[in-house]
Amino acid sequence: MTGRFYKALGVVLVLYSLIYGLLTTVPDLPIIEQSIRNLFYHVSMWFAMVAMMAGSFGNAIGFLRSDHLKKDQRSVSLAETGMLFAFLGLFTGMMWAKFTWGAWWTNDPKLNGSAITILIYLAYFVLRNGTEEPRKKARISAVYNIFAFVMMIVFIGILPRMTDSLHPGNGGNPGFNSYDLDNRLRLVFYPAVVGWIFVGTWIASLRYRIKNFSK
Amino acid sequence: MSKIGPLIQRYAKQELRNSNAIFSLGLYLVGITYLTYLLSGQNTADSTWNTLLWIVIFFGAIHQTSRSFEFESGDYFFYYQSIAGPRETIVAKLIYNSLYLLVLSITAWALFTLFYGNAVYNPLIFALGLALGCIGFSAILTLANGIAERSGKNATLSSILAIPLTIPLLKIVSAINIQAMVGAPLEEVREMIGSLFALDLAIGLLAYLLFPYLWQD
Repeated sequence: MTGRFYKALGVVLVLYSLIYGLLTTVPDLPIIEQSIRNLFYHVSMWFAMVAMMAGSFGNAIGFLRSDHLKKDQRSVSLAETGMLFAFLGLFTGMMWAKFTWGAWWTNDPKLNGSAITILIYLAYFVLRNGTEEPRKKARISAVYNIFAFVMMIVFIGILPRMTDSLHPGNGGNPGFNSYDLDNRLRLVFYPAVVGWIFVGTWIASLRYRIKNFSK
Repeated sequence: MSKIGPLIQRYAKQELRNSNAIFSLGLYLVGITYLTYLLSGQNTADSTWNTLLWIVIFFGAIHQTSRSFEFESGDYFFYYQSIAGPRETIVAKLIYNSLYLLVLSITAWALFTLFYGNAVYNPLIFALGLALGCIGFSAILTLANGIAERSGKNATLSSILAIPLTIPLLKIVSAINIQAMVGAPLEEVREMIGSLFALDLAIGLLAYLLFPYLWQD
């Protein structure tokens, strides 16, 4: 049993953030009110997704350099797990949007960025399913993966900052840092991010092993 | 790198010989522009004009670049591989496709002006937006088409791969063009043009670095 420590730590941190996130006191802000607790559940999903996709990207580069099919398997397992977090982030975000902005979906640059990201990675899976020969498939999809990851960073990290957004920290909205409390929120938020990244890594490693097993 | 010029000449010659392709692209442009004109009438708002123009250019570009590696398939792949390296090939393809898309989009612009009348107040900025957009398009679409081609000739695959990647580029370009249509001065769009240029540079560099991994068997 390798990496028992990080798995245990991941589970503990996730449980802590799920439970203590509901119990802790939060700042009383207009409109957002108690829904600010969604910070722990929604934002940590995107952090976990970016971490998974970054792992997938790193393994794709590793494959192109070394030609080990193992790296390709790792890369796709991580991308699949990242996709799971993307959908979870989307759903938690939609709920939050409904209760604070009044609509399930708005024409917000960050929402568009995440929708495009999901489309790109779905295209990546379509590409993988359409190719037979494993080495060729690995090489071609690694090329697309690298391209996709860089574009994803541009879409969700750079473009939204240039335009107005409803999200905190954009277009005249105050960032979360200006909500005084920080320290109370941070105490749950950072452990949640770390915990989900560990749990995600665990899920990806299980997928990787199942893939090898079924071959 | 000295082979880039001859390669571009070769692509252009191939295209000119294949006059059927040029003719069908031209017919598409005229037909679709006239169709949108019939449906939307003469008095379109600026944003509608711009959206229609970009839809026409977008599908024209998808159609044109989907033939990027038409001549490099099958046995000819080995021939082309022997006459030029991957770096030269991708640079030549990017330049050739950018120029081709530029001609395509200027033709579409001219046709729109013919049917709808001139809606652009500041043609210089508009043209700059078009040119930068074409460079970015050509890089994304060429790479996506290369991927689709190497993975086994799935015609729809290249659109599936390319369309989500082009959305942000389209958004920036059409924002610049809207500004050019209403006559905003250069200072107001400078930042957007700068970011479009940076995005083009990043996409082009990625295509240049990644293409050698596709261009092998």
